[in-house]
Amino acid sequence: MELIGLANYAVFIAILIGIYALLSLGLNIQWGFTGLFNAGIAGFFAIGAYTSAILTSPHVAGRVGGFELPIVVGWAGAIAMAAAIAWPIGRICLRFRSDYLAIATIGVAEIFRLVIKSEDWLTGGSRGITGIPRPFGDFDYMASQLAYLALVVLAVVAVYLLVERQLRAPWGRMMRAIRDNEHAAAAMGKRVEARRLQAFIFGCALMGFAGALFVHFNRSITPEAIDPMIATFLIWIMLILGGSGNNRGAILGAVVIWLIWSISELLTDRLPTEVAIQAKYIRVFIIGLMLQLVLRFRPEGILPEERRKEAAQPRTATNA
Amino acid sequence: MKGKSTAALAASLLGAALIASPAHAQNQKIALVSGISGPIAAMAPAMLEAMKLAVTHVNEQGGIGSGGKLEFVVGDDACNPQNATDAVTKAVNIDRVIGVVGPACSGAVLAAANSVTVPAGVLMITSSGTSPQITGIDDKDLVFRTVPSDDYQGRALARTLKARGTEKVAVAYLNNDYGKGLAEAFKDEFESIGGTIAGYSGHEAGKASYRSDLAQLARGGADTLVIFDYGDGTGLVLLRQALENSFFENYIGADGMKSEAVIRELGADNLKTFFTSSPVGEASASLDAFNKAFSAAGHDPNAIFATTSYDAAFLMALAIEKAGGDRAKLSQALREVASAPGEPILVGEWAKAKQLIAEGKEIDYKGAAGEHEFDEKGDVPGNYAFFQVSGTTYEAIAEMK
Repeated sequence: MELIGLANYAVFIAILIGIYALLSLGLNIQWGFTGLFNAGIAGFFAIGAYTSAILTSPHVAGRVGGFELPIVVGWAGAIAMAAAIAWPIGRICLRFRSDYLAIATIGVAEIFRLVIKSEDWLTGGSRGITGIPRPFGDFDYMASQLAYLALVVLAVVAVYLLVERQLRAPWGRMMRAIRDNEHAAAAMGKRVEARRLQAFIFGCALMGFAGALFVHFNRSITPEAIDPMIATFLIWIMLILGGSGNNRGAILGAVVIWLIWSISELLTDRLPTEVAIQAKYIRVFIIGLMLQLVLRFRPEGILPEERRKEAAQPRTATNA
Repeated sequence: MKGKSTAALAASLLGAALIASPAHAQNQKIALVSGISGPIAAMAPAMLEAMKLAVTHVNEQGGIGSGGKLEFVVGDDACNPQNATDAVTKAVNIDRVIGVVGPACSGAVLAAANSVTVPAGVLMITSSGTSPQITGIDDKDLVFRTVPSDDYQGRALARTLKARGTEKVAVAYLNNDYGKGLAEAFKDEFESIGGTIAGYSGHEAGKASYRSDLAQLARGGADTLVIFDYGDGTGLVLLRQALENSFFENYIGADGMKSEAVIRELGADNLKTFFTSSPVGEASASLDAFNKAFSAAGHDPNAIFATTSYDAAFLMALAIEKAGGDRAKLSQALREVASAPGEPILVGEWAKAKQLIAEGKEIDYKGAAGEHEFDEKGDVPGNYAFFQVSGTTYEAIAEMK
């Protein structure tokens, strides 16, 4: 175990955590602050990933693309495309209440996944897209990873500040009011549907951005990456564990889950081989168990939503 | 108290690892990565066991270098890029492996090669990544595979059918990288040698009825249906419904369809016009040796990707021995030990190989799954035969070129 290896590994983990933190922040806007049960995260992640991939990758016969645009354009395109597709979906689906919305969004994400798997001319089908550039990809292994980490950290910090600012503004208080009692908010003259749509689009755009960051890191994308298990439900676990309604909680959840998944293996690999292999199955179990325990004993998550004093009074009143 | 004892345990585990490493300075470590959890969890144990058998053979017959052992760490790619890059990053950086055997799924191979092993300069040999995209990785000669690309089988099957006088076919494929990869290669080759594709469509797994898909395919007027699917899954349903309604006269499958479940379920009498292509191990002495050793270890030698997994791990070991543990020379060494000319080395013949390498002689590993003559992209061609149903099993009737 050399230090440089440890450092490389830490950088890698931090990049993935950053990408998942963005997804978790996006979901926090939707669920944590607005109460929208979006179970189609993988779909918007995929839209961002594929949009940026198509815009920046070199030409391949039989597939749309070969634009080879700068990566920044790919990222902007990913955000714009995820938002643009979220709009009509939100218009239709947001009329549903929470659990029905969950079912509708699962369906939408499955539609995206099947379209991506089937439409070769657009996405390369089940073979996916390769040859996607990575910023600073020509550097050494370590330098390239570090540079990418810097970009991801920059993105997460920028998004975090943006979201915090937005949620501390009157807009954020209004969203909470809608979440906690939409009839009261409507009676106060708030346009509930339009606000929900805003939150939905904002969250989906962030998920698309995360997809774009992911695809340039791996330089390739195949439908295996947008499996609901790894790209939807894992993010829900992160947010619930970290604390929905709290942006730092959303990031913390991403950190905790990836550390459990990845670092626990460093310890179990020191065990005898047979046990070490079995321990790999147990990781999946441990993550499920943690979710159960958190829901049972600390449903508000590790870092619960902050309630400022002036907000606390009206909330109890409206709940009564 | 509790916190303290946990910390002490962790410290002692780490300490043990640190103390253990300098004592075996000449040991070489490789990573065995497979889809332990996730969608191919059922296939992964046999693949891992086959890789471990190769490591056992190496260590029982003299190990690596002078007195060193071949060590391994096991990684789980869960058949997706996120977990594959995680597992491989850990293996490369924390365990400092010299080479990676795996990962299992094509998407996992693409991501792990592109973002970890190629930039880090680590050799990768996958035993089950069959996507043609793997051929195109800009890999600095560091990505190899012991399993043929789906491209080869599809093309070989197209040539064989044409040579047998089939001019017009319909193609039904399962919509995943296996089915589609075969179908595309088949279509491309069949059309380029003058055949006609009268129907071409993909289907999703797990539907109750494929009659409307079949009716659509039959409309093109072909009397032969080529099915790229799995014979113990959707392919069986598709074939049964096609036979029941006599949509076509002849049915052709690839290796996925060569399942005994098909004969058991449909009966040999109904399958007189059913043929499949399948890879065959050419060096049968080597394959026999593998079957014997793997059975003796208590595992099923016919498990999918078992032979290619053994070969991948054994080739990795041969390359390490040949390169003298020098990471920079590993891929060149791999090409030398895998390709002719040289003294043939069969499955399990580590001691012989080790001695020849020490004497500076050329060797040529002939594996359980084939001879593994890598082309410039690190792919192997694979050998295929054309099978018909005979009794309760399949019988090879022709070689496929």
